[in-house]
Amino acid sequence: MTTKLVAIAVAVLSMTGMAAAKPLKVVGPWEIAGIDPAQSGFVFSRMQVAETLVSVDADGKLTAGLATSWSAAEDGLTWRFRLREAARFHDGSAVTAAIVADTLRKVQGGAGALSQVPVAGIEPDGEDVVIRLSKPFAALPAYLVNYTTIILAPSSIGASGKVERIVGSGPYRVKSLTPPLNMQLEAAAEWAGAKPGIAEVDYQAVGQGETRALMAESGEADLVFSMLPVSVERLKRNPNLDVRIATIPRTRLLKVNAASPLFSDVRVRRAISATLDREGTTRVILRNADLAATQLFPKALAGWHDPELPPLKRDLAAAKALLAEAGWTPGADGVLHKDGKPFSFTLLTYASWPELPPIATAIQAQLKQVGIDAKVSVGNASEIPARHKDGTLEMGLVSRLYSIVPDAIGTLRDDYKSGGSDWGATGWSNDELNALVETMAQTSDPAARAPMQRRAIAILQSELPSIPVTWSELAVVANKRVTGLRIDPLEVNYGLAAIRWAQ
Amino acid sequence: MGSLPSAGRNRMKRLVLARLLQAGLVMLVVGILCFVLVRALPGDPAMRIAAGRYGPDANITEAAEQVRRELGLDQPLLVQLGASLGQLARLDLGHSVVTGLPITKELRIQLGATLWLSGSALALSLLLGPPIGLLAGLRRGGWVDNASLGGAIVLRSLPPFVLGLLLILVFAMLLGLFPPAGYGTWRDLALPALTLALGLAAVSSRVARDAVAAVARTPYLAFARLKGLPEAVVVRRHVLRNAAIPVISYLALQAIYLIEGVVVVETLFGIPGIGHALVHAVIARDVPMVQGTALAMGLLFVVIAMAVDLACHWLDPRPKRT
Amino acid sequence: MSTADATLVPITQRSWLTPSRMAGLALLGLLALFALSGPLLVSVDPSEQDFAASLAPPGSDYLLGADHYGRSMLARLAYGARLSFGMALLTVATAAVPGILLGLLAAWRGGWLERVLDLVSTVLLALPGLLLVLILLAFAPGTFGPLYLGLALTLWIEFYRVTWVTAGGVLKQPHVEATRLLGFGTSYILRSLVLPEIRPILITLSAFAMSTAIIAISTLSAISVGLRPPTPELGAMIVELLPYYAEAPLHVLMPGILIFLLVLGLQLATRSDAR
Repeated sequence: MTTKLVAIAVAVLSMTGMAAAKPLKVVGPWEIAGIDPAQSGFVFSRMQVAETLVSVDADGKLTAGLATSWSAAEDGLTWRFRLREAARFHDGSAVTAAIVADTLRKVQGGAGALSQVPVAGIEPDGEDVVIRLSKPFAALPAYLVNYTTIILAPSSIGASGKVERIVGSGPYRVKSLTPPLNMQLEAAAEWAGAKPGIAEVDYQAVGQGETRALMAESGEADLVFSMLPVSVERLKRNPNLDVRIATIPRTRLLKVNAASPLFSDVRVRRAISATLDREGTTRVILRNADLAATQLFPKALAGWHDPELPPLKRDLAAAKALLAEAGWTPGADGVLHKDGKPFSFTLLTYASWPELPPIATAIQAQLKQVGIDAKVSVGNASEIPARHKDGTLEMGLVSRLYSIVPDAIGTLRDDYKSGGSDWGATGWSNDELNALVETMAQTSDPAARAPMQRRAIAILQSELPSIPVTWSELAVVANKRVTGLRIDPLEVNYGLAAIRWAQ
Repeated sequence: MGSLPSAGRNRMKRLVLARLLQAGLVMLVVGILCFVLVRALPGDPAMRIAAGRYGPDANITEAAEQVRRELGLDQPLLVQLGASLGQLARLDLGHSVVTGLPITKELRIQLGATLWLSGSALALSLLLGPPIGLLAGLRRGGWVDNASLGGAIVLRSLPPFVLGLLLILVFAMLLGLFPPAGYGTWRDLALPALTLALGLAAVSSRVARDAVAAVARTPYLAFARLKGLPEAVVVRRHVLRNAAIPVISYLALQAIYLIEGVVVVETLFGIPGIGHALVHAVIARDVPMVQGTALAMGLLFVVIAMAVDLACHWLDPRPKRT
Repeated sequence: MSTADATLVPITQRSWLTPSRMAGLALLGLLALFALSGPLLVSVDPSEQDFAASLAPPGSDYLLGADHYGRSMLARLAYGARLSFGMALLTVATAAVPGILLGLLAAWRGGWLERVLDLVSTVLLALPGLLLVLILLAFAPGTFGPLYLGLALTLWIEFYRVTWVTAGGVLKQPHVEATRLLGFGTSYILRSLVLPEIRPILITLSAFAMSTAIIAISTLSAISVGLRPPTPELGAMIVELLPYYAEAPLHVLMPGILIFLLVLGLQLATRSDAR
């Protein structure tokens, strides 16, 4: 009796799985916490539901988005963005310059990347959106790639003035949205460009990395983003799967409070850097020794990586010598002491990225070898900014993204300004770097920027306001059922519309 | 049930009234406790909320200032508590400070997911547990009894996440029958429901077995057999009815365990349930969401307890001490 | 219903040391020995990393192998067992003492005290236990104190209610009423008449509560709201090692087996054979 029931149940269940028109099943770690673009705009941008004015290709070159072209006036203060003519929202209405200008004005007043641009005014002018600046700022178009600036139709906004539904202008429209874990998309009739290769997309957020790997392995998902390093090797051996890896502009670094008595001496910061076993850490935890961060920016970040720069590397003898020079001598318990105080502090990190706590424990074990006593504390992501603000931060292990604005100048300008920032320097400032960064922000000629970029990197490398530990990569797994996948290291647009079923 | 004697009806009224009083108290206590505890936590709630909203790559300090202004977090705590309780008194749960959605909408999705999951787990465990218990209880010491005892001990000794992982490995990876995670279709629900159901059936089969064994020892059952009633009738008329009360009482406890215990299973299988929501809400200091989820769980408990009271009363109308 | 049986059958007439209890106690004894002596015998620091020995198989330099960071599995398992055992014992003791005392008090005194305690416990029962644990944990994430306190706060109610109901039943029995009327002291009645009746069920309940605590600690750590790395906690160890299941299945299984054996031992040791 029971067995019969179970058999019937299994049969019915397996039949419901075979629907007629199969959607592309995409699995990723990001939850849709709230639908406001400032919160989840990146999901809608990546999944091609909504567009920004400017987009970017895999090499970091700016390309057309909702704006087909843009130009700055002679003085560098007035920028004109020409909108795509046939652009329509998913409710059928046209994308007008007035709507775009309204949206951007609102975003500029928020806390997103655009608020850091010296904007004087944003106005529609016929087909164009005109942005006036209070001082020249060559990096403006790059800021308009940021997901908080996606353009939504006025019908997205409810009576309360908040975004209540997503009506974008991309190749896919939202069919159903069940925050925080589910979203279904279908090809939008209003899209004038090439029709998406697969008409329906089903996005499922799965927080557990291992579960994502299992979904790829079992063939349940067609496309899985962000695999744990340990799963990658196993998945590569699977004949049905295609594993793609891209280096992304994200660096895990030690955010050091240079104003604290422990770390104010640059020799101590250099000693800590020389203590780190970056190669061992990356080999064991990230399963790729090439990710050892020998300088702040990875090779993939064009113009910001200097192969000539002497690399940061492990040298325990040098580290010990530097510490002795700085006045630290081993105490009876093996821990270094200076003026009767032990070299002991809290290394704060957070679990938003699963690899941070293990890297922190590895660093703790490595620092112990030279007599530095670090206690690891894993908290919430907000604790590091909070303790940066009140000055009680000693050392934090953070994961810093340099493509919030595809031009790293955006992040650099914020992170190393005097006073530092949430994820940048603490208690450290350098006038030469500040001047360089401001000049670069106003310079658009790559040739003129190159020497300034090299100098900026060199300053950060010798002063070490943040101590780079590892670079990062993004692993995407596609089932061989699908073809046409393109990896976007800047994670702006996953190009789902170009994916097709393999024949 | 037709015509109950008036004493029975009065008792039922008292049961319902007591439970309603409990529900009111739960609301009050949950409302105050959630607010006070969440606010008493160390750290700046505006920073936490900002991190919950905009993610760990954002400029949190700057976002926190906007959050503080928007939510009035700079007002005196007592004013905020008053506003929060006033809202609850008007049965208005408010909006999540992280997602900005009305709590009722969030709960509809998340409580719905949890109810689906725990409902199917409970149903599945009922298909497995009590029938096995009945067989074991009628033939004490037989192979069904011994095998189910061994099985129950093993299943109870496995933490749910380990059991879930084993099931994923067997049913999703080896056999490819069900998806290892996801939410939306019946297939997605199969493995998480089975994970919970096995744990539940392990105990409910033993409870049923002990209850049946106790009934089987009573003189009136021997008398019924002596009367020459067929075994099926004996079981249906005497054993099932009398053994049902402990099983139902136990089911109520199980339902509670389910609603709370699902959090691991939800995390493991990627189900947007209420446990998952509660964990996130506490981390992000989302007071309205914590209040909403805690209230939903507490009131659900009261409802289930009331249903059990009434069911037991219906099966055995004799008044009894607590 | 085994509980009702247990209170009806006089305690002395049953053989206490059944085979399953013996097996359970032996198992618990072995595990306790491992948990207590392990850290003494293995002088390795359970958080010392040796990247060269990453995922070393059992045998070799490490008796039970090494985990992904090259930490001794033997040392971590021994510390993990001690942690689970100790935390569970402490939690249950903290929950049982006030629970039993309040239960006895309510059954003995009755009246308004009984009603107040009943009200408090019903309201607390309806509060999600998970909420209490989560919020207490949020005060000091990853530390023992709040985790233990939160668990104890959710577990004491069960002790209270069971003691109250059982002791209440015992006190209503004619021979107890008679003893009371004859003027025997409170402590005599509690010690000689009530305690023997409620002891078996309390032992069973304690074992259940300990199993619950062990599983809850490992589960909370597994969803990373409990104890934090590098604490050698069994549940956290399973989750940390899980991604390596294809390379080192034995390593993932070991902490799982240890939890399983602990709970199994507890279940066997307190099983009442109601036949």
